[in-house]
Amino acid sequence: MGGACSRKRDQLDNGDNLNGRVSRRFCKSGSSKWLGTSFTRASMDVIQGNRRCPSLMELCIYKIREDINKYSTLSMLPRDLSQQIFDDLVYSQCLTDSILENFRDCALQDLNFGEYPGCNDNWMDVISSQGSSLLSVDLSGSDVTDSGLFHLKHCKNLQALNLNYCDLISDHGLEQISGLSNLTTLCFRRNNVITAQGMSSLSGLENLVKLDLERCPKIHGGLVHLNGLVKLESLNINCCSCIADADMKHLSGLSNLKSLQIAFSKVTDYGITYLKALHKLALLNMEGCPVTAACLESLSDLGALLYLNLSRCNNLTDDRIDKFSKLRSLKVLNLGFDDVSDAILTHLKDLTNLESLNLDSCRISDEGMVNLAGLHRLKCLELSDTQVGSSGLCHLSGLANLESLNLSFTAVTDGGLKKLSGLSSLKSLNLDARQITDVGLAALTSLTGLSHLDLFGARITDSGTNYLRSFKNLQSLEICGGGLTDAGVKNIKDLASLTCLNLSQNHHLTDKSLESISGLTQLVSLNVSNSRVTSSGLQHLKPLKNLMSLTLESCKVTASDIKKLQSTDLPNLVNVRPE
Amino acid sequence: MKEDMVKLISAEGFEFVIDKKAAMVSQTIRNMLTSPGSFAETEHGEVTFPEISTTILEKICQYFYWSLQYASGKETEFHIEPELTLELMMAANYLHT
Repeated sequence: MGGACSRKRDQLDNGDNLNGRVSRRFCKSGSSKWLGTSFTRASMDVIQGNRRCPSLMELCIYKIREDINKYSTLSMLPRDLSQQIFDDLVYSQCLTDSILENFRDCALQDLNFGEYPGCNDNWMDVISSQGSSLLSVDLSGSDVTDSGLFHLKHCKNLQALNLNYCDLISDHGLEQISGLSNLTTLCFRRNNVITAQGMSSLSGLENLVKLDLERCPKIHGGLVHLNGLVKLESLNINCCSCIADADMKHLSGLSNLKSLQIAFSKVTDYGITYLKALHKLALLNMEGCPVTAACLESLSDLGALLYLNLSRCNNLTDDRIDKFSKLRSLKVLNLGFDDVSDAILTHLKDLTNLESLNLDSCRISDEGMVNLAGLHRLKCLELSDTQVGSSGLCHLSGLANLESLNLSFTAVTDGGLKKLSGLSSLKSLNLDARQITDVGLAALTSLTGLSHLDLFGARITDSGTNYLRSFKNLQSLEICGGGLTDAGVKNIKDLASLTCLNLSQNHHLTDKSLESISGLTQLVSLNVSNSRVTSSGLQHLKPLKNLMSLTLESCKVTASDIKKLQSTDLPNLVNVRPE
Repeated sequence: MKEDMVKLISAEGFEFVIDKKAAMVSQTIRNMLTSPGSFAETEHGEVTFPEISTTILEKICQYFYWSLQYASGKETEFHIEPELTLELMMAANYLHT
């Protein structure tokens, strides 16, 4: 009994902290996150309101955590159980040097310390005692040094190693891991000291599939050492500003490359020619690179190319944009902040595989919109900060798969919104524009599938909130135009699925509004800043047990009042303002 | 064995007769009692656990009832004696509960 190991191993994915608690390092790298915003928003939607009964396993794990000082070793347990105890201790931040000793020789497979405070060389001995069982270790954000990495030589089967944000690792550290030939995933984000010299230690890692070197400023000249890593499928060298055309040459033979990210590097059209033969390339991120549309010539034969990011490319203009029409396989295209006009849309009209198109801040207007009418697979369309207006919207009315539409800061008016009323697949709609009013909202009541509605700066008043009742599935709502009173907030109180609510800058709201909100027990994030809410209103928030983020700036509420609420009633509250 | 009761037998042969509904809190027991034909247990409504001691099995039965109570809204604390924890956890793992 107890020997059966049926626990699914969570694969160490990328640099993001997946510990289940709020990461202390909020990775705001816009570039490598662009895929996450290409489609409809997720993540906050999954939290369930009701507390289900804890399993006996969980109760035992919590009990062990409570009594952890009574144990000296857990090596008698089957490893999937000690693994769960370990994970729980990390999650609850109860792990220390001495408690870690319990896990010596436990034959654990996955040690995810991810940014755990206090993780340093002292821990490496216990880590290495897992020996050939250890498959993945995440030491990101730790104080482990080069000599600490020496211990990993005992872990010959190590497949995934995460050393992101490890400021104390240098080229010498890379030497220590050069023999770990079973490594498939290696992450070294934001390391300011490793150089081409260190990269030479990677040339023997013949099984490497995924390599993440985002924000390493000194690795130029080092990519030559990767040219033998023929199994490499994913390479991230975003924000390595040192990377230039000469480095790209060494990637030309990596025929298994599926994902390549070189955002904000110095690579030009010439450097992209080296990618011509990468027939498996599916994702290419060139955000912020000094390329022009001419580089697309090199990509026209890449039949597997699905995701292309050319946003913030300052040299990308209407010049030679006809080359876009050759990219027939594209599903996701990002041209945000590029100096392109309606002309580009004529070359996109036959890219019928497109599911996501980002034209944020492009010089697009109603004239070009007719070219989008044939893109029937389009799910996500970003038109923020363009000159698109109401007449352009009629070309979208046939896009039956459209789930996410951003019309913030466009010229769209109330009258134009009628044209969206047939888009029953819409889940996320951004209408943050001053000229939108209650009248526009009234036209949208048929969109009952909406889960995210952003009316931030729109002039919505209490009468407009009546229309919100139709959106029974609404999870996220923002109305910050200043036109709401407590009466309007009453219309929100039955939107039971709400997880994110922002009513800031509605100066007339009082504690009565908090009373209306008190039944929205699924709320994870709440913002009622710049209102007349006071500390006496905080009691209405006690039932909101799922609340993780609360913002009440510029209200008659003090940081200590919120802290009181946090400690007595809202244990999940992590982000608070004022602090 | 009455229709709505089952018998769980420990390593020492001690018999615990409990509500079927309670026993089915364990996914393992649920599978044993409901899968057509594959377990002899289905016929007699009896399951033997040669590897689970009496003390532990008793605690597990307590958990079953506690769990039903919790689900019906009565949320109390489930106390675990420290000396039982490790063994209890291994049994809980086996019983998928």
